[in-house]
Amino acid sequence: MKQFLLYITIVGLLGLLPGCRDNAKPLPILGNMDIHNGDTAFHTIPLIALTDQDSQIFRISDLGYKVLLADFFFTSCPSICPKVKKQMLRLYDRYKDDPRVLMMSHTIDQRYDSVSVLHRYAYNLGVDTKRWKFVTGEKDSIFHLADQYFVSVVEDPSAPMGFDHSGRIILVDHHRHVRGFCEGTDAESVTAFFDTIDKLLREEY
Amino acid sequence: MIRKAAAILFLLGLLIPACKEHPYSQGEVLYGYHCAPCHMDDGSGLAQLIPPLTKASLGFSQPERLVCLIRNGIPVNPATGQQMLPNKALSDTEMTNLINFLGIKYAALPQTVQVQDVKKMLAGCQTR
Repeated sequence: MKQFLLYITIVGLLGLLPGCRDNAKPLPILGNMDIHNGDTAFHTIPLIALTDQDSQIFRISDLGYKVLLADFFFTSCPSICPKVKKQMLRLYDRYKDDPRVLMMSHTIDQRYDSVSVLHRYAYNLGVDTKRWKFVTGEKDSIFHLADQYFVSVVEDPSAPMGFDHSGRIILVDHHRHVRGFCEGTDAESVTAFFDTIDKLLREEY
Repeated sequence: MIRKAAAILFLLGLLIPACKEHPYSQGEVLYGYHCAPCHMDDGSGLAQLIPPLTKASLGFSQPERLVCLIRNGIPVNPATGQQMLPNKALSDTEMTNLINFLGIKYAALPQTVQVQDVKKMLAGCQTR
């Protein structure tokens, strides 16, 4: 009888296991959707040609089958960027050996952040630019792109060094859909973001 | 029994002041506001871009240099984009409390400077 109860308990517990997996509900696709001829069109990051830290033209369509972690910053930013970069380094350390993940930091300061400044920045940060790219582009393109990533970026002469921007880190899937984000100024938010990223990787591969 | 309890209470009383970490709470607040955004809450800095705060990097053997560095900052280096913002608005007392906080946190120095020294040091800083 005792043994029977034990078996029942084990079977019952096994039954609970699927409930522990969070795969049941896929990550949402963020942003407004449109209906085109009866098909649903989700919000998609536009294909804009950017220039990376080695003066190479880069489009996110060149990504191939990867998920993207994106942020917006500038090298002389004295307000939130260093803390966001510290958290981006945590993400880098976790995913640098995972070829399915690419990180990309967009500079919003076209006055000072030339390709060579970005190159030096990446070098001083000590990261492999195959895994983490630093990109620039036409100011209008970058600001438009930030908008599409749901990151607010505004020029504001009263802000430190002339820009106000949010420290969000954005997760994009290989269809260029935004699937999640975290606040890069908040270590706990980034820790929770690890799970979001892992979930997308399980979903996609 | 009462004696024993009294002895325990006495010992506890001794422990309470020891729990207080340092007297520079204003310095700690100022650190959080003016320094931590770049040097991080724990003073660890950022890779090769922003130096970590240590006894050596802060240079307590020459506090006048540290005082003037905090006051004037470092202009933007056009090659790297890195800079240190000036802190023109800190009063003599605030600067003193900040330096003493840095001293006790990163170099275990109980008191690095006094306000009258800092006043002189600040007057001696080359302004730019």
